[in-house]
Amino acid sequence: MVEANKEIREGIWSWAKFYRKGWDYFAFTMHRISGIVILFYLYLHYIVLSNLLHPGPNGIDYNKIVTSITVGPYDSFLVLDFLLALVIFYHGANGVRLALNEFGIGLNKNKALFIIFEVISMILLGLFDYYALQFAGVKF
Amino acid sequence: MSDEFEFEIKRKDGSGKTYFQKYNVPKDKVSTVLEGLLYIKENLDQTLSFRYSCRMEICGSCGMEIQGKPRMACSTIIEDLKSDKIRIEPLKHYKVIRDLVVDIDPFFDKYKEVKPYVIRDDDGKYDKELSQTPEQFHEYANYAMCIKCGLCMAACPIEGSDPSYLGPAPLAAAWRYIADNRDKGAKYRVEVVDGENGTARCHFAGECTEVCPKGVNPSFAIQKLRKTALKIELASIFGR
Repeated sequence: MVEANKEIREGIWSWAKFYRKGWDYFAFTMHRISGIVILFYLYLHYIVLSNLLHPGPNGIDYNKIVTSITVGPYDSFLVLDFLLALVIFYHGANGVRLALNEFGIGLNKNKALFIIFEVISMILLGLFDYYALQFAGVKF
Repeated sequence: MSDEFEFEIKRKDGSGKTYFQKYNVPKDKVSTVLEGLLYIKENLDQTLSFRYSCRMEICGSCGMEIQGKPRMACSTIIEDLKSDKIRIEPLKHYKVIRDLVVDIDPFFDKYKEVKPYVIRDDDGKYDKELSQTPEQFHEYANYAMCIKCGLCMAACPIEGSDPSYLGPAPLAAAWRYIADNRDKGAKYRVEVVDGENGTARCHFAGECTEVCPKGVNPSFAIQKLRKTALKIELASIFGR
């Protein structure tokens, strides 16, 4: 393998330059960003869960975290949950498309696959949000 | 509308600091970006450096970033850019030698890695012509159109973050020969393209296909390569 030229390396900044580029580049950028958000959430989740058994001055109290984030008349923690669900549903749907593409399936209908999977995932997200709100006690 | 185009060209001064130099080019003198650059070179500034040869989108020499996108200067009609201001920079992900001239050696080094030639298992000792049906020809014809301009390498976001990645053009070349029915070198190429710096790095941004001036589809080829590599790997596991 040729020696990599570090001088020309753009870094992860090159992932995010989707301005004036096609839909597939947008899909790529959003896949990366949503992946980073999910990874961040995963570690946050681990930290919170692993400290549940050790509340107190040195541990993290789950209820305190939720209370600190929840400000005003609306449950802002729920809004964050919805945003998290949005990125998970987006990432999952695009991930299925990419997995199929990697096996050579649907390569000629790549854009159509992206739209189909994203539409399905957004419908599922709507259902998720509906039941989540019901669970939270919101009456429709 | 003005009677002149304003060319903004990225250059470097003696201390290595980059800046954009502006030139006014009369509209009736030019229609392509390359003609504009030649006008500047001949009439305004002889120190401006850029690379070109055939002027007809075959040699692949005049690749550069035009309005933020990798394009061939010889085939980019200025009117199509819908702007009187034309911003020109050297191709990204390559080391700049001077002004718009970049070092494309690393690109060709990567290209050589995939063994871009027909590999036979009979030492060339075949007694009749190697025939090919139109269907077999069309399996790889699209990828044989590559002019090795390297625009796809400049457009690929993975290439920008990981320069050791083989990149779209070499991988498309690998598929071009694997898809050729006369070639018997798939297992040798798969060793290279299925490695850490090969197809596994591609995340299907599709920009390589988008910018290709010849309509080659490297992103498609890479996914086909993955499928082929999987088949070969599975066959090797089961001893076939």
